[in-house]
Amino acid sequence: MIKESFFILKKDYKSELRNRYSFNSLLLFVIITITILLFSIGLEDISLDIHAGLFWIIVFFAATNGLSRTFVSEEERGTTLVLKLISESGTIFLGKLLFNLCLMVLLSLFVFILYLFFMNGFLIKNYFLFFVTIIFGSIGLSSASTIIAAIISKASNKGTLYPILSFPILLPLLIILIGLTKSSMIGKSIINELNQFLLIISYSGILITVSFLLFDFIWKD
Amino acid sequence: MKLKYFIGILFVLVILLSFIPKISGNLTDVKFYSTIDTTKIIPVKGVISEISNNLYKFIDKDGNEGKLYASNITNKEGIFYLKYNEYENHFTLKKFEKNTFFITFPFIPGLEEKARIILFHVPVAWVSVLAFLISMFYGIRYLKSENYEFDVKSVNSASLGFLFCILATVTGSIWARFNWGSFWNWDPRETSIFILLLIYAAYFALRSAIEVEEKKAKLSAVYSIIAFVTVPFFIFILPRITSGLHPGSADDLSSPGGGPVIKSGMSFEMRIIFFLSLIAFTLLYFWIFTLKNRVTELERKKI
Repeated sequence: MIKESFFILKKDYKSELRNRYSFNSLLLFVIITITILLFSIGLEDISLDIHAGLFWIIVFFAATNGLSRTFVSEEERGTTLVLKLISESGTIFLGKLLFNLCLMVLLSLFVFILYLFFMNGFLIKNYFLFFVTIIFGSIGLSSASTIIAAIISKASNKGTLYPILSFPILLPLLIILIGLTKSSMIGKSIINELNQFLLIISYSGILITVSFLLFDFIWKD
Repeated sequence: MKLKYFIGILFVLVILLSFIPKISGNLTDVKFYSTIDTTKIIPVKGVISEISNNLYKFIDKDGNEGKLYASNITNKEGIFYLKYNEYENHFTLKKFEKNTFFITFPFIPGLEEKARIILFHVPVAWVSVLAFLISMFYGIRYLKSENYEFDVKSVNSASLGFLFCILATVTGSIWARFNWGSFWNWDPRETSIFILLLIYAAYFALRSAIEVEEKKAKLSAVYSIIAFVTVPFFIFILPRITSGLHPGSADDLSSPGGGPVIKSGMSFEMRIIFFLSLIAFTLLYFWIFTLKNRVTELERKKI
């Protein structure tokens, strides 16, 4: 099953390479947002809190654009039936989850590089904590986003519904991530923050389990 | 239907019991808070007996004894508003109120009369989480059986939960205006109830975005389950591990480590009234819930 889900991941990767729709639009989105931020901030020195918040705001809204496409694109291209035929729903869910996870990690790394390049006040003291935060954050964000992307692919006004549905569910996670990013900028050691990571693990564990169980109902509609 | 009369009587009882009892501390409270704030006058319920002219022996409700200087007292029992004189080790009377009701509420500094909010605000919040739980329960049953009735129950429960959630927010925020200084302070628990409102607003938005009845029922059931499994994170976990203004947060001294909210400062009598109010609100919820289900069922039959 896991092996099969890697095939789904591979298939998504190939179809992504073919038209490069979601990745290109994501990159442009990130660049545009950072430009707007730069113009609005100007030469102002902004505090660490705001930097941490802005970073995750960019990641969250970029993810909104990218991750919501995963199932909608299948519906639009009419490939849902083929996918239903070739494998079980659990496999498809895992494959999509893995694809979203990879997309999220790449996306947040890209946001990080651009952010580091443009924002002068954005200095990180504990890089290890920061990268662990990014990876755990990507796991958490993609775990909640995949099932919501599946839900909205069946609804009518897809574009507006995704942020409405996902934001309240992701907010506890975002609060924790902003706190972690702030402590990595202050230079706290990772041992002080273990509780937060346990919270993220339990959060994404619960969400992945529940969505794995529930995906079947949405998919076989 | 006798349930509505029972609920009515219970509510009258709860309202009477939460407004009739006076706030009353004991002599230790008076001693402690008079040294912090010299203008502070603290109500104490107790009995007096005369020792000599203008000097009385005062026994408070917990059995502590003290000397009381006062003139022209006609009543021997009631609520005495006291101040403590540190140098001469006696109490002085500022105001007297006749009171024979056997229940009093404890004196909590900074809250005093405003402590009564806990008898309404907390039960309402509890009922809203209960309603969301029941909404999820019927969501699961719908997914299992695809029976239309369960979907109706799930929506009705969620909408009731939303209503109670708004009630909890409004009562809390009016109270916060008088106790914390502003209507909204972004305390962790305020944030979490805000997210709870957002989640169920999103639930209704999702329902209105899908036209086909079966699809609507199925997707909203899935969403209500996913939404509810994240509820413990911001109702029970986040407000306890972060510092905030509500009782039970991480920096709360009365319950170190963030214990349950019920522990903080409530006396035995108050706790009984609190649980009575909890039962009253829960029964009210179940009563409205069955009524709503019947209404939707009748409307469906008419169509």
